[in-house]
Amino acid sequence: MLRAGVDIGGTFTDLILVNDQTGELTVGKVLTTPADPSQAVADVLQDALERSSTPAAEVHHVIHGTTLVTNAIIERKGARTALLTTRGFRDAYEIAREHRYDLYDLFLELPQPLVPRHLRLEVDERVYADGTLATAPDADAVARLAAELRDKGIEAIAICFLHSYANPANEQLVGAIVGEIAPDVRVSLSSEVVPEIREYERTSTTVANVYVQGLVERYLRELVKRLERLGIAGELFLMLSSGGISTVETASRFPLRLLESGPAAGALASAHYGQLAGVRDLLAFDMGGTTAKLCVIEDGQPLTSTDFEVDRKYRFKAGSGLPVKVPTVELIEIGAGGGSIARVDSLGLLKVGPDSAGADPGPVCYGRGGRQPTVTDADLLLGYLDPGFFLGGRLKLDLAGAESAVRTQIAEPLGLSTVQAAWGIHQLVNEGMASAARVHAIERGKDPRSLPLFAFGGAGPGHGFGVARILHAPRLIVPFGAGVTSTVGFLSAPLAFDFVRTFYGQLDRLDWVHVNGLFADMAGQGDAILARSGVPSEERRFSRQADLRYAGQGHEIRVDLPDGVLGPDSLAAITSAFESVYRRLYGRTGPEVPLEAVSWRLLASGPRPSVRLRAAERQGTTAARKGERAVYFPEFGEHRPTTVYDRYQLGPGASIRGPAIIEERESTTIVGPEAEASVDDYLSLHITL
Amino acid sequence: MTTATTTTTTNIDPIALEVLWSRLLSVTNEQQAALMRTAFSTVVRESQDLACGVFDTSGNMVAQSETGTPGHINAMATCMRHFMAAYPASTLEPGDVLITNDPWMTAGQVNDVTLVTPIFRSGAVVAYFANTCHMVDIGGRILSAEAREVYEEGLAIPIMKLFQRGERNAELFKIITANVRTPREVEGDLYAMASCNDVGGAQLLEFMDEFKLASIDPLAEAIIQRSEAATRAAIAKLPDGVYTNELWSDGFEEPVLLKATVTIDGDHLTVDHAGSSPQSRYGINVVMNYTHAYTSFAVKCAISPEVPHNEGSFRPVKVTAPPGCILNAQHPAPVAARHLIGHFLPGLIFGALAEAMPDRLMADGAASIWITMYRGQRPLPASGGSNGQRAAADPYTFMLFQCGGTGARPTKDGLNNTGFPSGVAGVPAEVMENLTGLVMQRREVRTDSAGPGKFRGGCGQYTTFADRSGQSWSMSGMYDRLKFAAQGLLGGGPGLAGEFVLSDGRQANPKELLFHAPNTRVDTALPGGGGYGDPFERDPAAVLDDVLNGYVSIEAAARDYGVVIRCTKRADEQVSVPQHFSIDTAATAALRRR
Repeated sequence: MLRAGVDIGGTFTDLILVNDQTGELTVGKVLTTPADPSQAVADVLQDALERSSTPAAEVHHVIHGTTLVTNAIIERKGARTALLTTRGFRDAYEIAREHRYDLYDLFLELPQPLVPRHLRLEVDERVYADGTLATAPDADAVARLAAELRDKGIEAIAICFLHSYANPANEQLVGAIVGEIAPDVRVSLSSEVVPEIREYERTSTTVANVYVQGLVERYLRELVKRLERLGIAGELFLMLSSGGISTVETASRFPLRLLESGPAAGALASAHYGQLAGVRDLLAFDMGGTTAKLCVIEDGQPLTSTDFEVDRKYRFKAGSGLPVKVPTVELIEIGAGGGSIARVDSLGLLKVGPDSAGADPGPVCYGRGGRQPTVTDADLLLGYLDPGFFLGGRLKLDLAGAESAVRTQIAEPLGLSTVQAAWGIHQLVNEGMASAARVHAIERGKDPRSLPLFAFGGAGPGHGFGVARILHAPRLIVPFGAGVTSTVGFLSAPLAFDFVRTFYGQLDRLDWVHVNGLFADMAGQGDAILARSGVPSEERRFSRQADLRYAGQGHEIRVDLPDGVLGPDSLAAITSAFESVYRRLYGRTGPEVPLEAVSWRLLASGPRPSVRLRAAERQGTTAARKGERAVYFPEFGEHRPTTVYDRYQLGPGASIRGPAIIEERESTTIVGPEAEASVDDYLSLHITL
Repeated sequence: MTTATTTTTTNIDPIALEVLWSRLLSVTNEQQAALMRTAFSTVVRESQDLACGVFDTSGNMVAQSETGTPGHINAMATCMRHFMAAYPASTLEPGDVLITNDPWMTAGQVNDVTLVTPIFRSGAVVAYFANTCHMVDIGGRILSAEAREVYEEGLAIPIMKLFQRGERNAELFKIITANVRTPREVEGDLYAMASCNDVGGAQLLEFMDEFKLASIDPLAEAIIQRSEAATRAAIAKLPDGVYTNELWSDGFEEPVLLKATVTIDGDHLTVDHAGSSPQSRYGINVVMNYTHAYTSFAVKCAISPEVPHNEGSFRPVKVTAPPGCILNAQHPAPVAARHLIGHFLPGLIFGALAEAMPDRLMADGAASIWITMYRGQRPLPASGGSNGQRAAADPYTFMLFQCGGTGARPTKDGLNNTGFPSGVAGVPAEVMENLTGLVMQRREVRTDSAGPGKFRGGCGQYTTFADRSGQSWSMSGMYDRLKFAAQGLLGGGPGLAGEFVLSDGRQANPKELLFHAPNTRVDTALPGGGGYGDPFERDPAAVLDDVLNGYVSIEAAARDYGVVIRCTKRADEQVSVPQHFSIDTAATAALRRR
């Protein structure tokens, strides 16, 4: 049985094809085709099938991730969208939180709503906070408005009324009328997309969902056709930003859930490689040219959250984007990559990033016109990169240019040697990433010193050692083939669907019958989707969680719920689960007040597929030595001759003593003095620190 | 691996310093994250009316968390010396947490409570963590401008121990909870404040272990020196001179004049507020600490926004105001609504500095954040409640923040309905309605409220409130700029002043405590920001877009911007589209010829 994973990124469309019987992997990479992205998907699939001489009919399913949704929002290429709100509230979407995300920047800009003010319209209706229906909409008035919107070429309508999470009746009524009058207009109800309190965030999410819906539907329809033409009979599934998998039908209804599918796959791949190596908790660290992403993997699963922002005015500044509340693999992205620019600031201190030279002009050493020294330039000066073997020798690096840029722009102004400056750049970018990782782990109740670091991406293996050292991580794991690591994630995820219902109440006087009803409803829906996706009933799993807090707090903690029917008897178990998480996060439990529930969650999932990457046969390390070069390590305070190994010649069981450099085409792994690297059965490097 | 092991010398190399400094900032961010996630009141958890920071053993603020609000951050920075005078390190033990709400020592009103936690290592204090938060209630008259003496404004908590050796000071908690209207929120917030200092302290100790630092004082000194030098260098780039400005606030019983004389002399900057009105009989007075906080905030925004905020960035800026003037009010003056005046200070100072730094400063905006304390009864639940039982009275006390428009910038329009200078955030209508009997009926951008200009100001907003409990309710509004609009810069026009209207026709002072009959409706219109540059130079396409979207009316487009726009939208159409509007180029050219 063959399974395919396809990821459309900004530049490249990547493919991985796995034969589940043999464990054989085929990878492919073509340029993304922005005008019709399904073209590149078809091309890369066809090519891989030909290369592996496999008939298309043997592909059981294709799992797909795309940046289409993110790009459509950033580039404002979605539908002509209107917003219907409660009378008096069309500007809640624009007035937002009335808050500056940067206290001192007089020139800051706020995120621009996807619906301009002239297309935000109001309906006479009202529901109160407790769900009381105060005013029902007038059907004729709504019909007139819907007809006018239709006639004026509106393609999509978001409906977001106050307190619809507590009572969706008015939204449903208006949605039905619009559906009747304007059947070709796509409609999203906020009570369906994200039934959670806080009107600004809910509106922003609902609008974004319907804004991209037409685009995603058209694209998926086209893609299904292309797969059929290729002769692939297997079903198409979509990778969600939560790391779950969905059907084309669900993805078309809730396209916003596709938002971060690429990074989600990277996190899933880390979880997968970790499991192969017997590590269920780890910190995934993906460092590329412009950014680094970090994600905590807990018990074999990436952590997820529903707080996400798109189209940030400042990419790394929380609060500068449009909030979207969709379940998303919880990763932080910081402006630290190979292209991050180093400079001396007005305080006479060295700063690295978040601005990046990108791929063009790129670092000074690329010789393409880059003038400002970058992390890659520093890595080159330290001997971590081979000027003749970058990208497998495809790009010759300009050592002299890098040296001159670091010397004149960093070393001389700071009164340091060029090597000290280069090491400073390397160390500071590592510090920045480690700091972000530490805050991220601690906020989730994790001790970073207990988490092995899993480093991938082009620059990850070169900086993993430094970052792991700063974090006091127990070890560093570097998978084989940094270039394909992420795509493995597409094939290692179980089919999984999230559901959430908001229902407030203090646990000591809760209507548990209602709660059990909510769970029965969610489980029923989940069961049906799993059944349609071909998961046999005995393999369907349902896990339940609640978002709880001390009554009166504004932020919740997610707590696992006991199995079975919930009732007053469950209180003790739930309370104790809550308190243990709370104490871990905040050091002490809160005052003596009852617990309060906000939302109830259910995850319906199928079995985890086993991706058995074929273990290689190579052995020993002698053949793997490819030479020696001068490399800087802070322990020595100078460059010393260091052995360089060929990663492709290192088989399972091979072991290397640091200092050492291990090269493969897309990345270089640094092993510091005193450290020990060994190769496991799946060709991952495990490095002690 | 790390080069940052220097512990005894202040000559920490620049790379090691950057490493250590960024770690310290990260510790304060963790402190704030813990505070917001554990707080009980919406004031802290939604509106971020708070500040968090770490101090060295001499009480100098070394680092603060990234967000928060200036009145708290800078006021907290200067409070530590009072704590240290009251409780020298020798009198402190691990697990102690100090508290005060003295307005003159901290953030200028009794609702603002500061907690300080000494951090011990090997038996000695190595640092202090502090945070300041606004309590939703502190007893007294309820937060308002109406008191005549600070004694009426609520419970006074001198510097004392809230926790001793980890044990809560039960007697003090009894006094606090007996004095406030919202004991659960206040107690919960005090716990959250203590917790977040613990989180910061634990991280700091780990950090010291890792870098083998016996003390953070040398690091603190290096941070402070660098920041002071960078701030001085930024000041030195400005032309020497004496720059003045003045503006008016509505005041309580009569308008209040605020003056600033900014003197730039080499790398020294002095702001003197002499000539400002004398202190008021009502609670709009500002203590020196708060005046200093917003004055130095303004200077930092204007001159050196990139320099991190700490003791060093305060030092080069000297702020003075004659004792007894409204910006240096003397005890026992009432001070609860000090933000009404204090929030004017950045606009006042930008106006003075505009001449010295053209093209870098913004026009004046709505300035004071509008705060309302609402009180009433929660409505009875919808029929069919789970057990039909319910307490007879279920009162609420709720604090709401709202913002008008900010001033226009030299290259950009002002921001609609965004706080400046305050850093606090609004509260979602849904959250507010869940916690109270209030019904918000309108939250709408206010057409034509923005001051016209080549770049226009930010718009204010219309809001309407009612209560659905069927019982009487009350509000204490603290609103300003109903008489004196935000002025524009360099030819930009003023924004619209605010309005406050009660449905029963009562003419009320927008700063007094008002009791409402059940069916009363309260309408507010928040002020817009001033414009920047000549409105006749505004791109007509931008005016057209503003008209399409209703930020500017067709009438105002012609009157204020000299842009004549024709509209073909019919009376029976609800939806405006771009095809409805066009610029009459000839008529526009004629108007703009003046």
